[in-house]
Amino acid sequence: MNKYKILVVDDEESIHLLYKEELEEEGYEVHSAINGEEALKAFDAQEPDLVILDINMPGMDGIEVLRQMKQKKPRVPVILSSAYPEYKQDLASWASDDYIVKSFNLDDLKSSVRRNLTK
Amino acid sequence: MPELRRDTIIGRWVIIAKERGKRPYDFVIEKDKTKGGFCPLCPGNEHTTPPEILAYGRPDYSPNGPGWTLRVVPNKFPALVIEGNLDKRGEGIYDKMNGIGAHEVIIDTPRHDETIPTMSHGQLIQTFWAYRDRMVDLAQDSRFRYIIIFKNFGRAAGASLEHSHSQLIALPIVPHRIQEEIQSSLHYYEFKERCIFCDIIRQEKSQDIRIVCENNDFITICPFAPRSPFEMWLMPKRHQSSYITIDDNQFHSLTDLFLETMRRLDKALPEVPYNYMLHTAPVRSPFLEHYHWHIEIMPKLTMVAGFEWGTGFYINPTPPEESAQFLREINLD
Repeated sequence: MNKYKILVVDDEESIHLLYKEELEEEGYEVHSAINGEEALKAFDAQEPDLVILDINMPGMDGIEVLRQMKQKKPRVPVILSSAYPEYKQDLASWASDDYIVKSFNLDDLKSSVRRNLTK
Repeated sequence: MPELRRDTIIGRWVIIAKERGKRPYDFVIEKDKTKGGFCPLCPGNEHTTPPEILAYGRPDYSPNGPGWTLRVVPNKFPALVIEGNLDKRGEGIYDKMNGIGAHEVIIDTPRHDETIPTMSHGQLIQTFWAYRDRMVDLAQDSRFRYIIIFKNFGRAAGASLEHSHSQLIALPIVPHRIQEEIQSSLHYYEFKERCIFCDIIRQEKSQDIRIVCENNDFITICPFAPRSPFEMWLMPKRHQSSYITIDDNQFHSLTDLFLETMRRLDKALPEVPYNYMLHTAPVRSPFLEHYHWHIEIMPKLTMVAGFEWGTGFYINPTPPEESAQFLREINLD
């Protein structure tokens, strides 16, 4: 059976390592990108089933990446992940399928991934 | 010499530059770059918003699809949640309650690039209908005490999406800013047995130096002590404390005057970022002799910084008499 492919976009390497380890344990294939430009290239090349996207990144921010991804493939779920809960109220985040506040406890993220891959 | 002016309703002080006020062309307005791309508020993307609460304009009943002329949806990631009880409680001297409330988005138009000054009368009136319809519906919920409606236009004024929309938040408390207005109006009424807003309208009509425009039912003025250059208040001429009681004729007059007001502002300061807020009587006491609903329009031209936060004063480089004159003399033909 093919594994679901997840693209993790974040400028912090520690987040990549943490998400990769935890999500691979759940049986997903995890790819990484460290900025907006790289994320959009990986989105085309890897054709992920789901994207976990940081908002605050140098250069192109997560909201801009989100708009471009949704323009290309609106049905691919994108989960915004940010350390700042207040961005959640920003209407630009509406284009995402879920919004997760970063935490060491990844239960919320994992359940959001499961929910969005099966909806 | 600068002048200190006191807002006659809530007593807030502002510092007004008197010698030579800043003209519209003295302000540098950074125009937002058009981003384009995916917009969750556009027709065809209804699946990206929560299920709609209200929609106008569809010829058949097909919710959450295109064909609408105005749409209201709950906030996708709300700050306050609609389900649950308030459970008011104390923690020593500190009060708290559950974060119950409603946060809705009114998508004013299906057209991504339409702004209020470019809207038709027939489009904008739907926004005003929606404000009333949602207020009437939410007022039936006994947990809510106040419903505030506002619009942010432009990134500098807090709007993150280009597509025109307003927001509504129903709260389990009456906000302090509104309580202040209502209490001060009551204080005035107890002395004079008249509504302070009605008296302001009477005085502005007789002085005729801060009126921007008016029609039979409504008037727009630059208030005597404005916080921002080109701040305007739009008020009904006859006493009316709650927005939910406005009638069909008033909806048309309100739309006409609001359009004229916003077109004047847009011509003076093209694409200026702004906020407007609808202040109305609280949900549980809609009929007040001493209070008057109104819309406050605040162009975003100055910074609120340490002095303003520290004192509650505002510094305004344009006297309202000059703002009103500029706006009044604009030719809209």
